[in-house]
Amino acid sequence: MSDRNQAQLLVALQDLQEMILEAEDPAQRQQLESMGFPVTGIEELRTAQQKLEGLIRPAMLGKYRRLYKRSGRAIVPVVDATCTGCFAAIPTSFTSSVNRDKVMTCESCGRMLYWP
Amino acid sequence: MKIDELINHMSPELFVGDLKATTKDEALEELTDAVVAGSQIKDKQTVLEMLRNRESLGSTALEKGIAFPHGRSLAVKELTILVARSMKGVAFDSEDGKPTHLFFLLLAPPQDTGNYYLQALGKIAELVRADSVCNAMMEVRNFEELSSLLRESAS
Repeated sequence: MSDRNQAQLLVALQDLQEMILEAEDPAQRQQLESMGFPVTGIEELRTAQQKLEGLIRPAMLGKYRRLYKRSGRAIVPVVDATCTGCFAAIPTSFTSSVNRDKVMTCESCGRMLYWP
Repeated sequence: MKIDELINHMSPELFVGDLKATTKDEALEELTDAVVAGSQIKDKQTVLEMLRNRESLGSTALEKGIAFPHGRSLAVKELTILVARSMKGVAFDSEDGKPTHLFFLLLAPPQDTGNYYLQALGKIAELVRADSVCNAMMEVRNFEELSSLLRESAS
């Protein structure tokens, strides 16, 4: 499995965790239900989370979990060569074609970086 | 949310006149392909996985043949709205069991403060409440006619 796939899996995992948090939040849930959207499949999402975690390399998953626990967002997008977690500039070498597909880490805040 | 603000998140490139899909999974894939082709979003797999997970939480197809697949993903930089139609209809697990003909796909970044995308979703739901608007949406020939129709129904 390539590093690119690992980055995509980490992004998918964080998207999913955020979706679960949103579904568990009473205010958010009420807002969705008031628009007619049922929120009944939280268990299905938890199962999907477990499956996804099984596809991520253990060391990478451990790092992700530590970062997620510490800052809430373990992986953040790079926009205009800036880490959107801490707004530090990302060195141009990080965005080169050589490094673009790897799971890079922000030198300032330590979060994992993703180029959307 | 004002109608012009809503329409600013749509574009002619994000309008699909007639989907080929007949199943829910095919429709999600076709909608994702279309949004990747018509916007700055590049990571199809991540968006598609998020949409599939969102459907596992509960179907986004309401009654009257309308569905609102939606969600937030890190792969999305700004609120993006795709409008698609299916003339023959798609089995999309709707509330009333009927086929879905109109799709409003809403994608937002995670840092969507104030649930801006849910406001957009609410606004669209309000606009298409009238059967006459839904019927007219099935008749429009292009995005310009679609945006005019949405403006008219908002006024």
